[in-house]
Amino acid sequence: MNFVEGVRIALGAIRANVLRSFLTLLGIIIGICAIISVIAIINGLNLYVAENLSNFGPGVFVINKFGIISNEEDFLAAIRRNKDLKVEDAHAIAAACDLADAVAVEVHSTQNLKRGSEEVKDVDIGGIEPSIVDIEPYEVEEGRNIAEDENARAATVCFIGQDIVTNLFGTVDPIGKRMRIRNQEFEVVGTAKKRGSVFGFSRDNFVKVPFNTFRKSFGSRRSVNISVKAGDGVPLEEAMDQARVVLRSRHHLGYGETDDFGITTSEGVNDLWKSLTATIFLVAIFVVGISLVVGGIVIMNIMLVSVVERTREIGVRKAVGARNRDIRTQFLIESVVLSCVGGAIGVSAAFVVTWLIKTYSPLPASFPLWAPVLAFGICAIIGVFFGVQPARKAARLNPIDALRSE
Amino acid sequence: MPTAADTPHAGRPRSDELLIEIVDMWKTYVMGATEVHALRGVDLSVPQGEYVAIMGPSGSGKSTLMNLMGCLDSPTRGSYMLHGKLVSALDEDELARIRNEEIGFVFQTFNLLARASALKNVELPLVYAGVPPDERRARAEEALRQVDLLERASHRPNELSGGQRQRVAIARALVTRPAILLADEPTGNLDSVTSREIMGLLHTLHGLGNTIILVTHEHDIAEHAHRIVSIRDGRIASDAKVEHPTLATAGT
Repeated sequence: MNFVEGVRIALGAIRANVLRSFLTLLGIIIGICAIISVIAIINGLNLYVAENLSNFGPGVFVINKFGIISNEEDFLAAIRRNKDLKVEDAHAIAAACDLADAVAVEVHSTQNLKRGSEEVKDVDIGGIEPSIVDIEPYEVEEGRNIAEDENARAATVCFIGQDIVTNLFGTVDPIGKRMRIRNQEFEVVGTAKKRGSVFGFSRDNFVKVPFNTFRKSFGSRRSVNISVKAGDGVPLEEAMDQARVVLRSRHHLGYGETDDFGITTSEGVNDLWKSLTATIFLVAIFVVGISLVVGGIVIMNIMLVSVVERTREIGVRKAVGARNRDIRTQFLIESVVLSCVGGAIGVSAAFVVTWLIKTYSPLPASFPLWAPVLAFGICAIIGVFFGVQPARKAARLNPIDALRSE
Repeated sequence: MPTAADTPHAGRPRSDELLIEIVDMWKTYVMGATEVHALRGVDLSVPQGEYVAIMGPSGSGKSTLMNLMGCLDSPTRGSYMLHGKLVSALDEDELARIRNEEIGFVFQTFNLLARASALKNVELPLVYAGVPPDERRARAEEALRQVDLLERASHRPNELSGGQRQRVAIARALVTRPAILLADEPTGNLDSVTSREIMGLLHTLHGLGNTIILVTHEHDIAEHAHRIVSIRDGRIASDAKVEHPTLATAGT
């Protein structure tokens, strides 16, 4: 009794009872489809986030007061000991780090905008050093970026995102027009290209003003973010280490003390995101796992029924020379094949689901090749695990009793 | 028709050797507190190449004897030598091998696999004998030719008549070239014309050197055999040669 023979018998048994087999497999089908779809969605989310969430590209890191903090304890510790970063820190890094190509600071505040009777609330105001465009390019739609001399003399000029254009200026061309940010008049010198939204949060709702102007108008006590771009071909880690050394010495940190500032890379953002999706994934696995176990139990049930229905067949096979292990193998192969057929249907359904998501949502959903392979592996394990008992029952049948059964 | 070279028993022991030797065989079933003795000390010898009918009313123990001879069951007491082997001492796997190699069963209810073609049904014992697919197919076709059903090889049992089904079952029984053909009421589900046809086939197979043991409760069917063993209440009541066996022609 070889494997191919067993598979053929199993497929025959499934074909003989198509509807029943399908209903039996529903749990497995749904489980496998769900698990692969979840993988595809999370994959898509990760891609989406990698493309959209972090503004800065490879070779760039941002130093700020807190960095990425993912638990409360670290956050409380950081609040107590982390120092505000100053623009002087950025200048020191620029002077001391030969591996850094460009260094620039940005500082943020949320303010309301006004123009005549129009008002837009809670807009992100970024005070930037103009050289930041070398690190995080703002693509210009109309007008121009903020110029170096405008920062030097703290000119009241601004560069605005598309949401501001729409909400504050409407159909009016904003270039050269004035608007108020907290009682201070600013002249619009340029508008940014539309950047779209991520998870419903617009990335066009911003105003950039010169860093020095920001300090004058909104105060100079905020901690700044320092963006650093490593030179071409320089490993990011080495540039980060240089900057870290500079800051640690400026902050008088001793050997063995932890950093009192945070360094964020796009990789770091993605890692944080991935640790979030990993949690979602685990929960999904757990739920799907329950469905698969139920699916397995249903398979076991139907195999037990099948053994009873085919008692006579088992008797005939034994009468012509099948050993117990031949019968056991046959029924075990049958439950594995049954389960794997369910897996195949589940994978096909997941293909369709993934395609639908990819086509009708912004998520670039896709699943890696290992997902269906894993799914088949799981199905095979389910088939063996839940097939052992019915197979053993079939193998133990006494040949005469089996032959006499109706 | 098969030639002498095709006959199943070339190289088997000479015909005067005993193929089956049963000594003092008992079979007792325990049903609750009571013991039911289906066989009470049966002694039976069957030489190579014989055509024996075992007769008896239902409940006489003839089916039990048949099951024991077919290695589907083990005796409670007594010894059973089949083809020189002490079968009563074998374990389940060894019994399965004996059933596969030494015994061909023909049942009253045919017992064919409904979803398999005639050819696949005939191949079945060879599957468990580990014969490779090509050889399996060739031998199954040969066996079907022997029962004159080769042209129906691809038909399923429900597409065949009762007599044809029984011929497929006989082909299945013959395909491993067993030492004995055990036929349990082979005509019990067939009309008289088809019965004659099957008895004719058994006669032909006996003529080719096969040892045949036929279990029946019908006297005129038993009359086809060359020896009739009657069983009553678990014991052999009579054992006699048939002077003039009924000659059935294969009718094909």
